[in-house]
Amino acid sequence: MLAENIWRLDNKPPPDRGEEPIVFVEKLKNAMRLTALSRGAIALGLTPNLTLADARARVPELIALDRDHEAEARLLAQIVAGCVRYTPMVAAEPPDGAILDISGCAHGFGGETGLRADLVRRLKTSGITAFCALGDTPEQARALARFGHKSRDLLGLPVEALEADAAVTLALRRAGLKTIDDLARRPRKMLAARFGDLAIRLGRLLGEQDRHISPERPRPPIFALRRFAEPIARIEDALACLEDLGCEAAQTLLERHEGGRRFVARFFRSDGAILPLEVATGHPTRDPALLIRLFRERVDVLSDPIDPGFGFDMIRLDIGQCETLVARQDDHLAPSRHEEDLAELIDRLSVRLGARRVHRVRPENTHIPECAATACAPSNAPTWEGAPEGEPPMRPLRLFDPPQPVGAVMSEVPDGPPMRFTWRGKSYAVARWEGPERIAAEWWRRRDRGGKPRDYYRVEDAAGHRFWLFRHGLHETGGAPPGWYLHGLFA
Amino acid sequence: MSDAAYVELACASHFSFLHGASNGVDLLGRAFDLGYAGLGIADRNTVAGVVRVWLALKDARNKCHEVLGEPPPDFKLVTGARLVFADGTPDIIAYPETRHGWGRLCRLLSTGNLRADKGDCVLNLENLLAFHEDLLLIVLPTSTRREDEGVERKAEKQTILPPDEKGVSPLSNVIPAKAGIHREVNAHGSVDSRLRGNDGTEGGNVIPFPQRPTQDTLTRTLATLRAVAPDRVWLGVAMRRSGADQRKLAKLAELASSAQVPLLAINDTLYAAPEDRPLQDVLTAIRLGITVQEGGKRFEANAERHLKAPGEMARLFRDYPEAIEQALALHARICFDLDDLKYEYPHEPVPNGWEPLAWLKHLVAEAAAKKWPDGAPAKLPALLEEEFALIGSRPDLPYYFLTVHDLVSFARSKGILCQGRGSAANSMVCYLLGITSVDPTKYDLLFSRFMSEDRLEPPDIDVDFEHERREEVMQYVYDRYGRHRAGIVATVIHYRSRSAVREVGKALGLTEDVTTRLVSTVWGSYSTHMEEERFKETGFDLDNPEIERLNHFVAKLLEAPFPRHLSQHVGGYVLTEHRLDETVPIHHAAMEKRTFIEWDKDDIDALKLMKVDVLALGMLTCIRKAFDLIRNFEGQGQGQDYTLDNLPKEQDDVYEMLCKGESVGVFQVESRAQMNMLPRLKPRTLYDLVVQVAIVRPGPIQGNMVHPYLRRRQKKEAVVFPSPAPPHNPRELHEILGKTLGVPLFQEQAMKLAITAAEFSPSDANKFRRAMATFRNVGTMPQFEEKMVGGMTRRGYSQEFAQRCFDQIKGFGSYGFPESHALSFAILVYISAFLKKRHPAAFCAALLNSQPMGFYAPAQIVGDARDNQVEVREIDAAHSDWDNKLEPGADAPAVRLGFRQIDGFREEWAEAIMAVRGTISSGDPAQRIEALARAAKLPARALRLLADADAFRAFGYDRRQALWEVRRTPTDALPLFAAADARELGQEEDPQLPAMPLGEQVAADYQTTRLSLKAHPMSFLRDLFAAEGVLSSKQVEDIKDGTRARVAGVVLVRQRPGEGKAIFITLEDETGITNVLLWARDFEKYRRPVMASRLMEVHGILQKSDEGVVHLMGAHVIDRTDLLDRLSEDHETRLQLSRADVFEHPQLSRDNVPRGHHPRNVRILPASRDFH
Repeated sequence: MLAENIWRLDNKPPPDRGEEPIVFVEKLKNAMRLTALSRGAIALGLTPNLTLADARARVPELIALDRDHEAEARLLAQIVAGCVRYTPMVAAEPPDGAILDISGCAHGFGGETGLRADLVRRLKTSGITAFCALGDTPEQARALARFGHKSRDLLGLPVEALEADAAVTLALRRAGLKTIDDLARRPRKMLAARFGDLAIRLGRLLGEQDRHISPERPRPPIFALRRFAEPIARIEDALACLEDLGCEAAQTLLERHEGGRRFVARFFRSDGAILPLEVATGHPTRDPALLIRLFRERVDVLSDPIDPGFGFDMIRLDIGQCETLVARQDDHLAPSRHEEDLAELIDRLSVRLGARRVHRVRPENTHIPECAATACAPSNAPTWEGAPEGEPPMRPLRLFDPPQPVGAVMSEVPDGPPMRFTWRGKSYAVARWEGPERIAAEWWRRRDRGGKPRDYYRVEDAAGHRFWLFRHGLHETGGAPPGWYLHGLFA
Repeated sequence: MSDAAYVELACASHFSFLHGASNGVDLLGRAFDLGYAGLGIADRNTVAGVVRVWLALKDARNKCHEVLGEPPPDFKLVTGARLVFADGTPDIIAYPETRHGWGRLCRLLSTGNLRADKGDCVLNLENLLAFHEDLLLIVLPTSTRREDEGVERKAEKQTILPPDEKGVSPLSNVIPAKAGIHREVNAHGSVDSRLRGNDGTEGGNVIPFPQRPTQDTLTRTLATLRAVAPDRVWLGVAMRRSGADQRKLAKLAELASSAQVPLLAINDTLYAAPEDRPLQDVLTAIRLGITVQEGGKRFEANAERHLKAPGEMARLFRDYPEAIEQALALHARICFDLDDLKYEYPHEPVPNGWEPLAWLKHLVAEAAAKKWPDGAPAKLPALLEEEFALIGSRPDLPYYFLTVHDLVSFARSKGILCQGRGSAANSMVCYLLGITSVDPTKYDLLFSRFMSEDRLEPPDIDVDFEHERREEVMQYVYDRYGRHRAGIVATVIHYRSRSAVREVGKALGLTEDVTTRLVSTVWGSYSTHMEEERFKETGFDLDNPEIERLNHFVAKLLEAPFPRHLSQHVGGYVLTEHRLDETVPIHHAAMEKRTFIEWDKDDIDALKLMKVDVLALGMLTCIRKAFDLIRNFEGQGQGQDYTLDNLPKEQDDVYEMLCKGESVGVFQVESRAQMNMLPRLKPRTLYDLVVQVAIVRPGPIQGNMVHPYLRRRQKKEAVVFPSPAPPHNPRELHEILGKTLGVPLFQEQAMKLAITAAEFSPSDANKFRRAMATFRNVGTMPQFEEKMVGGMTRRGYSQEFAQRCFDQIKGFGSYGFPESHALSFAILVYISAFLKKRHPAAFCAALLNSQPMGFYAPAQIVGDARDNQVEVREIDAAHSDWDNKLEPGADAPAVRLGFRQIDGFREEWAEAIMAVRGTISSGDPAQRIEALARAAKLPARALRLLADADAFRAFGYDRRQALWEVRRTPTDALPLFAAADARELGQEEDPQLPAMPLGEQVAADYQTTRLSLKAHPMSFLRDLFAAEGVLSSKQVEDIKDGTRARVAGVVLVRQRPGEGKAIFITLEDETGITNVLLWARDFEKYRRPVMASRLMEVHGILQKSDEGVVHLMGAHVIDRTDLLDRLSEDHETRLQLSRADVFEHPQLSRDNVPRGHHPRNVRILPASRDFH
């Protein structure tokens, strides 16, 4: 026996604004159209498929949100996963349905009705309104759940329940055939000659054909383990065993075209203690040699070395996180392994120093120097644009944060370079300079659309020290002279 | 510092779309203030914006001269373009040194434009080399080409202008090129091809373009150009405070000296003042389709690209002062000014051996002799003499008249109806040439209004052609003069509050929902800026920084106003004797086969180029179709051969019909307001129609002219004319305002009033007219007020009367019709009313065949015809044509609806059916349908549409049976079976389909053809409504004024005229229509039912005027749309709103519409919306 459950998004509003007219909109047929409505919106006479402009003309205070297909799919997946409590045979019917094959599963819940009541109650507690129906075939259940609000009688359903093309449905209605019964009583041949697969749809709906559902089942996690009749006491042996397990897991990964990103090795000591070790890689991998190298690194840097005690009686390797890794043929002519070498280096450093302590620097899309680069996870490979050939570096590699005020600056008004300045109590005379590089403030971050620009100079003193200085603001008549700051030193 | 001199030569105005952030005029003003010796405007691949800057300078000079009495300042504006190349060549700013150079520049840009799609330009360095003569070239170090710029269109869609005729370029006869060394250099032949490095034009539409132009490209470009134009190449360099300016400058200086090209200082300006940087960033964000938050490095790092003081420039270039000198030198060399664009009309319409004026006189004399074979009216010679004197005073004018005459003759020869309108109707010459149909002697119209010596601008003859066939006339113009000599005038599309809010909102990162909400409150009207109120209405607060920012930038875009892109004018052509593409660049329009120039109407006026208007008018199409139908249908009172001229004039029965307010489909007077006015005004003569057309307009209504006029006409008020104090002519007002009973209605009257009663000089009066006509001169109105009221009181009129006159004139302002214009329209009103009265069937069919046009949907046109005893027959596959046509009826011709009424049906299917249906042999219905489908090769969709429209009745099937049958009719004939000519389908048992009830039939009719001849949807609901006490519109007419009543009906149209104090709703039921008026405050209360209803019930109080005009003052509105489901639960009854419905088809309102708002401006009907 089957059941189908349709939930709708129309009750997504947060609890405190239950009756407000909220709609979800999406661009369909060149217009923003309503796709789902709150009860409040339905009560105001709005309907799905109405254009947002029309809806707004009627209800100016309408709250419109963009439809998020991914969120809908996630919610549906959650519901499907939750339904596994009733039967292992559950499948999603996108966009807004789930279908359950409850053959032989109902007794635990007090029969079909009990199961249905339980399902509806559970969904309701999580704020989801569900329309449930039972049918002999998936199509029957689906039709009853979606179109069976008025009659529970299959033959009494409107022809829309066949969910054929809109044009076909209209043609049926124009012909005066309005219910499933009207169709069921006419020769199938007649329908087939005019409406193609409609006859098949009808057959399925009437339960003459059964198309079983294909449930979604999560793939089992990958792991490998080894038990020992006699506990092993040497770390070296344990690691050798781990390598074997790695090979085993690699085999499974290869079959699934996947690679692991996170690996957890657990050493079960005979006294019951479990010692976990975890390594992670920047890219999916299934290379046991690499894996064992990382584990060795990990073991080496443990502050508290592994104590085998009376020995381990079991070792288990879990692949915590998998990603697709398609087998790839090496380029035999140009075996460039540079990228991979770098990735391995990063993995080893991460294992040795801790994942949070290895960074790469990524350029940011801004002119403001202190914001122009940020640290990011090492696995993201940022692209840096090299300086044009023959050009000196315009900015130092590292910046002072915050920029250091410098004093006693002598400079030419309005935009001359500093000729002399004092920093950390020492006075420097500028011998050579270049600039200014004027960088204006980002007006869109400021209420007044203003902000002081900075004039940056690259300067060199007589001893060859190079500084990156800026004047904060421009010289204005009457105002206080702008301040000077040192923002970095050139190596 | 003050002695420093500088000229900025790389200045982009906002016509560098989404690059430049300042109005050219602002740039000019700023340059003026900074003490520049001049300014160069160079927009990206366009000269679209230069004329207005040039005009602003000219105006400023005149002002200096006239007002301040000072000599005009020594300031030279130079105009050129920044050439952005598609082949990786760095940008080059080109300034024409001479008139010849300007011609070259325009040719160059035209060449690039015509290889690209609308708005784009594909230039290669070769193109420049072909047209480099007399151009001063500033090469910039880099290219600013965008990724999506410079994309060639398909080769077969490119337009190639004809090359110069051998030996002589037409223009060089007139303006010889400046003799110089370059000619000799050029004489060497083509350029050494080895000099060019990156010529990647082989194959493909997109020209490969190196991401960063290298030093090498620059060197090569300089060398190439230097070879062809040794003394006309510079290397432009800007100091943008980018950190290494001095080093870059030194490098470029080195490069320049090795290329033997002088260095030239620029600042590559994008805006007038540094404060404009945020706006420029916003424009950049709009251009890139990103938000400003994402802008980052794609924006300029600083605000340096403004006009800088000469002293500042001198300081920046202190190491290379010669760069600044070069800028001044280049500027000084230019001796071209836009004033040099001499214009000549094409000579085509004048036969060889004739002088244009003599030929014109000859044509007019011939026409007069033909018109009045028994001798011309006495006034004629004097009138013609006066006109010819004026026409002859300018050598171009005879050509102008002859050119228009040529177009009109062409149209006549093709049977295309046309009629001149506007002030041209004042001219006897136009009348005799057949351009207009108003005899000026009859109505005492003044030619001097049309064209006076004082009016410096050229005359304006607007000619309307049938809207469906105007394209033929337009293509004729191109064919006759060539695309290099004829072009449509451009219209600059500016940002309006809607588009500005949308685009700026997007750039500022606001969601579409928020901007939609802001935009949605802009009710049908666009104001110059988003008022604070608007923001409040939407629930947003200006204190919110994001909204404040939006408001700030939107205001900036609207106040300039910012151009968005160029589009083509509705039909104004510029024609030239010499190459037009040497006067102004030519573009491809978005429409197929159209090319337009990049200057708009105002630019053309400023440069004194003349334009010919080829406009479209739907009613002419309708009238021509009606004439054809009448001519081709013999018997039953038809068969007459009507033309615009020979129609019986001043027929009483026609006016009788109009007096009753029966004017559905009649030109100009079919709107609700006009219909209500007809019974009050009771037109009896053509001139009454002139008044009717002119009076029911927003201007006169707001100027409070309607009621005084009506009272006087209904003899409720004496017609009095105040007199001035002696010694002035006491009857002067009588002469001016006599025809309109003392109420000024027309522009001419306002001007005469100003001249006579307030003693304006003709030129002042003309300025006054312009101030009235153009909304941008609003600021000058108070001056005129003082002048006029003062002038009138001085001459002895009462202050109160003078003020009233002025207020009336001000009130109708831009909406006052010229009398001649109203006359031209009134003639069409009469003709269409005549057709409606005497040939209602032909009129109905012609109206339907000319859709979309007018105010009414087909359902109402057909309903009106049936009310007038016209028999209308269903669409039928056995009888109908594509067009609606006439068929013999009981006593009068009947209308047979055509296939064009079926939504989605195609003309070629209709033609195929018409061709083959005679051959269909008899048989049972299914066999005949199958035979028809086969013979006409109809696709399944066509058959289904026909069956759906219930068009197989003559074959013996009703809608349901036919649909059931065609669903299985094979459509693509299988040759094997076709040869056997055997029926393919076997007999099938009877499906026993239930009969289709009438309500369902009607609903299905509405769904497929949007009208039903079977019944009105309301008739099915009448019992139900009657039980509820709801009256029909017929019953409403019979009850007393002031009674409470309830009516219900299908919503035809909702309007919110004028200031929006009231909403007018027209409801239709099976007995007629009811007009409902709803005050705005009630509207807010009933917003949802008003907006959502297709079937509406209204409770209210009945108001009846003396003339029997009935209104229901709505007090309560109920949406009864769900009742329509009772007709059929299966088919929604698709009721079509009138095209005049403001909600469905928002119209531009007064602030924005150019003068003379006209049906041609109304949008083509968008696909009607279904309701749900």
